[in-house]
Amino acid sequence: MVIGKKNLVHTLESMDFLNMDRRTFLKAVGAVGATAFLGTYKTEIVSALEFAETKLVWLHGAECTGCSESVLNGGNPDIVQAITRLNVNLAYHETLLAQQGLFVDGKPVNSSELNSEILVDELIEEGNYILVVEGSIANGPDGSGRYCVIGNRTFKELFSKAAKNANAILAVGTCAAYGGINCADSAVSKVTDYRGVAFTKEDSSKGMVQELGIRKPVINIPGCPAHPDWILLTLGAVILGKLKIPDDLDTALDRYGRPKVFFPEDHTVHENCPRRGYYDRGEFDTEIGGEKCLWKLGCKAPYTHSDCALRRWNGSVSMCTQAGSPCIACVEPGFPDSARPLYVEAEDKGLFLGANIDTVSKVAVGASVLAAGVHAVRRMKGDD
Amino acid sequence: MVNVTVDPLTRIEGHLRLSTEVNAEGVITDARSSCLLFRGFERILQNQDPRDAALLTQRICGVCPTSHSLAAANALDQLFGVADSVPKDALVARNINQALNTIASHATHIYVLWGPDLANPAYRDVLTPLGETGTAVWKELLGRFAPISYRLDGNAIPPGSSYLAAIPEKKRLQEAIAVIGGKMPHQVTSYPGGYTYKPNIADIGKLSSYYLQVMDFVSSYTLRVPFETWIENTYKASSPQKAVNFVLEHLQGLVDSSISGSNSNNFSREAGWGDTEFYAAFGSELVGETLLGLPASLKHDRTGGYSDPSKINFLAYGAFYKTENGDGYDPNSPAGDRFQTSGIVTGNLEYKNFDASKITEGVSHAFYEDTGELHPSKGETNPVSDPDEIRYDRGSESRYTWSKAPRYEGIPCEVGPLSRLLAMKEPLVTGLAQAFKDNGYSPANTYTRMVARIQEIAIIANELLKWVTVDYDPNGKISVHTDLSMAKDSEGMGLWEAPRGALGHWVSTDSNSKVVRYQPVVPSTWNMSPRDGAGVPGPLEQALIGSKINAAENALGIDYSNPVNILHIGRSYDPCVACAVHTIDLSGKNAPKTLRLV
Repeated sequence: MVIGKKNLVHTLESMDFLNMDRRTFLKAVGAVGATAFLGTYKTEIVSALEFAETKLVWLHGAECTGCSESVLNGGNPDIVQAITRLNVNLAYHETLLAQQGLFVDGKPVNSSELNSEILVDELIEEGNYILVVEGSIANGPDGSGRYCVIGNRTFKELFSKAAKNANAILAVGTCAAYGGINCADSAVSKVTDYRGVAFTKEDSSKGMVQELGIRKPVINIPGCPAHPDWILLTLGAVILGKLKIPDDLDTALDRYGRPKVFFPEDHTVHENCPRRGYYDRGEFDTEIGGEKCLWKLGCKAPYTHSDCALRRWNGSVSMCTQAGSPCIACVEPGFPDSARPLYVEAEDKGLFLGANIDTVSKVAVGASVLAAGVHAVRRMKGDD
Repeated sequence: MVNVTVDPLTRIEGHLRLSTEVNAEGVITDARSSCLLFRGFERILQNQDPRDAALLTQRICGVCPTSHSLAAANALDQLFGVADSVPKDALVARNINQALNTIASHATHIYVLWGPDLANPAYRDVLTPLGETGTAVWKELLGRFAPISYRLDGNAIPPGSSYLAAIPEKKRLQEAIAVIGGKMPHQVTSYPGGYTYKPNIADIGKLSSYYLQVMDFVSSYTLRVPFETWIENTYKASSPQKAVNFVLEHLQGLVDSSISGSNSNNFSREAGWGDTEFYAAFGSELVGETLLGLPASLKHDRTGGYSDPSKINFLAYGAFYKTENGDGYDPNSPAGDRFQTSGIVTGNLEYKNFDASKITEGVSHAFYEDTGELHPSKGETNPVSDPDEIRYDRGSESRYTWSKAPRYEGIPCEVGPLSRLLAMKEPLVTGLAQAFKDNGYSPANTYTRMVARIQEIAIIANELLKWVTVDYDPNGKISVHTDLSMAKDSEGMGLWEAPRGALGHWVSTDSNSKVVRYQPVVPSTWNMSPRDGAGVPGPLEQALIGSKINAAENALGIDYSNPVNILHIGRSYDPCVACAVHTIDLSGKNAPKTLRLV
């Protein structure tokens, strides 16, 4: 798969995305990134207004706005251009739109041009939108959802209403996908009871849609934050009909609801890490600020299923391990607990990433180890 | 009395509710600021490896993650006993990282979050009846600042030119951070004792190139006078009066040309009106109408001020290490120790030294059981977990927010660019504040808050270039040794500045080097604070009370359904609510109904 991707990058110029089958398409966009993808598509998209307008309703729950910040870093040349070309109507987004909730003596006033609460209700009423969720959803205290109240209603209530009328749901970021930092282990997490959209950590029976009895297709785009390419390319694939909802989801998504093309089951960050050469030679940093493999500083890249090391971040200028910081597996359902302590070798931790993925992870590490050669293995296990 | 509530106040980070009582004259007589979300953040660090804090506390806020990671790194430097030996080049790298984050965050605030309110239809209604000049000014406001997906009277309005141009610049600045920080948001390089990455010559070249590209945007859109001229005559002016006079003379030239001269009713960038010049002249009644003789202004200096100067301070913890001091720094951030100094400026513009031990936090109006006023390093609170107790409609005597009420010597404090620039006696902002005070205005108001944010971009950009090209040595040392054994039974305090104001992290550990307490006190907790035990409202609440709700001092009468000044005032603080609400721990005795704040 990795080699295939590299070849696709090299032949990018000659490729005709619109005539590709879905599998090849997803591989291709996975490898080339949103910038090249939208650039290549420019002529088709500008001329082909057969792409009906796609309406997005983007809701914020318990979040840090990092994923919205991240998506502003995407597109070619920027996000406004990207959504214009894809004929996306960003109909609701709390951080970007002009509107706000307006009440006089408790009653909503003005119109949807200025009042966000009227706007969001109108949009939900109309239906036919993709719901994007950023942040996790408070279920506590006691199932009331009152730890997050917006515009006189709980976020749980707003989410429920919006999810019921959505064509599909995109859970953007690890908080929306799996609960993320809000679900980090503590006695308190049981009281706040934060939930992801369709999962809470690895548990697909504890998502908010299951709690509410809502059946909708959900695509998870985890990451803390989610990479803008992952978001835009997934949206692009849906809009262009290359990823059909729900028909293609069974094959396109992994068991945690992630597009396999960005979060491959058989590929970890470790495989393309810019420091990989040091690992193969068994050379490890034990203090920060060096240039060698970060395994002994707690790097979780061998357990982490994403294409970060191929794609890199912010215009592909860098990534976590390139900047000397261990991978913290922020795309995995168990984040952050599964990666803590962040700066301690994973071998010292015992069970990792939850019961389900543990086996997978061991297989992945096993494969890496095999590739690394006996010499490095001995060093990695501390026999040197 | 009419209740006018904005909920949610959008285009901020997080979920904020502003509830006001407005009298028949359209003046706000009472106000409550409610933070609506409770995540329980620091609890996740308890009993954990303290080193995780610099990465995990960034998840408090995706807009100013660098600031949280550096406040944490500062607290950890002291916790590990290495604050006095962090290598100079690591300090420079941290400075560069923060400078880029502050500029990116301010630019986002000005253009994406705050600017769109200038395209509110209320200004069309106020300005267009004023003839050609008013119509031309409205055309500029809408043409520059309209946001994405904007509609007026059923018509789609294209995004404004400045808004559109700012978005790729924000992206570029985030890219620059990623060059030396790995990625953004949530960069990865802050670490006790130094910095995880040693930027090389190529990185320095890239940063310089990003800088020049961003300055292209500044000279095309933000500021039409040459950047060096502006810096020389404002930030480096020999007195506040000279800085103000330079700006007034510059603006007077533009006004003369565009009102009566050759550029009649042309307020475009081509005619010399950068966004800064445009807002500096038209934003203020005192500057625009009284001093420059404009026929109208937005009168933002009449809103968002403080009516009782004895009930407000301006507070800065200080930020950016002084690189000429070499290795190490003082964790107490004494006066003069940082490029932007710590300090307290009173409501009457008197100066005092800052002392971190004088900070307390109270919870009398927040959803926690009252435990009195405590220093952050000792803070304890028991939040309610009865759903029926979490209500926002029970008035100013009730508990109505998840934000605590921090005070300095018992007094509420505004934090942010205005406070920082006052504390460091930046000539332009100091001069403007004094001028407003002398003319019967509040020195802090919506206008000075925004001008300070714009000016801070300029002075930090100026310093950034020096850090990148002069101070940083790619061959220098980037970290000192630390290991967990150095963090046994220890304490650390990290004082720093986020783009939106003073940010402190406090940490303590046990004999196994595990975290016992982790407590951030963040800028928006200061600014969005509720009333304290004495019933004194927080800064934003005070700023709302006494302001008129509608555009240009209710110029067209009272319209409760479009309270544009509530929007301006609220957003002028650049609120971050995910930051403001934090910290819970389960109290053993009362679990699970009662939570404890640590």
